[in-house]
Amino acid sequence: METDELLVLVAGGDQAAFEDLYDLMSGPVFGLVRRVLRDPDQSEEVAQEVLLDVWRTAARFDPSRGSAQSWILTLAHRRAVDRVRSARAAGDREQREARRAERPAFDQVAEEVEAGLEREWVRRCLDKLTELQRQSVTLAYYDGFTYREVAERLSLPLGTVKTRMRDGLTRLRTCLGGAA
Amino acid sequence: MIPLGRLLGRDRHALAAPYVLDALEPDERRQFERHLDSCPRCADQVRTLAEGVLRFALPTSAPAPAAMRERVLTAVRTTAQDESREQSAPATPDPEGETRTTEADNLPRSATGRRPTPPAGTRGPQVRRPLLVPLAFGTAVMALVAAVLFAVQVTRTHDQLAQERARTQAITSVLAAPDARAASGRDRNGRGIGVVASAAQGRAVVTVTGIGAPPAGKVHQLWLISPNTPPRSLGLLHGDTPLVATGLNSTAMSLAVTIEPNGGSQRPTTTAIAQLAL
Repeated sequence: METDELLVLVAGGDQAAFEDLYDLMSGPVFGLVRRVLRDPDQSEEVAQEVLLDVWRTAARFDPSRGSAQSWILTLAHRRAVDRVRSARAAGDREQREARRAERPAFDQVAEEVEAGLEREWVRRCLDKLTELQRQSVTLAYYDGFTYREVAERLSLPLGTVKTRMRDGLTRLRTCLGGAA
Repeated sequence: MIPLGRLLGRDRHALAAPYVLDALEPDERRQFERHLDSCPRCADQVRTLAEGVLRFALPTSAPAPAAMRERVLTAVRTTAQDESREQSAPATPDPEGETRTTEADNLPRSATGRRPTPPAGTRGPQVRRPLLVPLAFGTAVMALVAAVLFAVQVTRTHDQLAQERARTQAITSVLAAPDARAASGRDRNGRGIGVVASAAQGRAVVTVTGIGAPPAGKVHQLWLISPNTPPRSLGLLHGDTPLVATGLNSTAMSLAVTIEPNGGSQRPTTTAIAQLAL
């Protein structure tokens, strides 16, 4: 059954539908959260909270506003980003510096994407983005930086970063849409 | 911090991309969401860009730890759903911007799991982690417990809350036990039993699903089946409220639910309507 239909059933309190939904979405949720948080234990904790949230708040899903996949992964991503930002705000500077030294955001993305399911397409599509488009999107989405922080890190004006983000997403969507 | 003019001008539309990437500050995000309600063009743009974002999200997929499945499904059995739809739902879920009952507002926000983990020293799941619990299991379970307890609490009155406190403490203790193990099963009719048990504590949290309400004048009773001894009553079930079973040992074979006269029976008088092998 499609993710959208399952989520609608879950909204009606259908626990069996939730099990099916879990089997479809726990991997994407866990993987995305882990991509942002890195730490497997924290990621498991956050992924569980997200999946339980899906159960609790399923009635808020509105199919006319987007797909169930997108709704669920938005929940997951926000929760992960909130966590990573509060860790940074708590002054976890050491960790931050270590993370920065450990890997440039950009290479890591390429590596992980390579290991993913859609690796060929995504790889090819990522290659079509300019480096600034790619960095703007990945620093925000995979590393949880706000667009202001992205602008600082890339030494770009705010307006430029917003535009790079938009162009990057648009290009990726077009490319992958065509490949699919 | 945020220049208001930037949010009021045409520049506002350009926030769609940072919005779908969750790259706005919380204040900006709320303002942009309000703006979305009155800007169909922006809502369209958000929907379109969100498809691009999905392409970034899906390739990161990785198998979730196997033990997580049972923990989440058990939690789901004990967790009430939010009943009402949002008055004006945001284009995407908004973990922070929702309104709740006054009762919920009395609870620490961290218990909802809806706020970022607070810095060390303030209340939050990490503060309550028992020192002896292995990290991987402890953090994950405590987060679930917090979420489950919160969900239970919002559906009850304050009086009931007081009564339930002792029970919820027992549940917390079992779920957080380092040796906690989960099992569950469901038959063709959707009737199922879920259990999280700690051998060290000899206790288990049992939830039952899909059995509906008992006939008038009857109750649902939970039994522990062990070899060479008669079934032992673990108590009466009240709807989907989890039951804490005590005095378990490793010889126990299965759990069963029967329909019994009001007040329960000494021994099962009917055949089981749901059963789970341990």
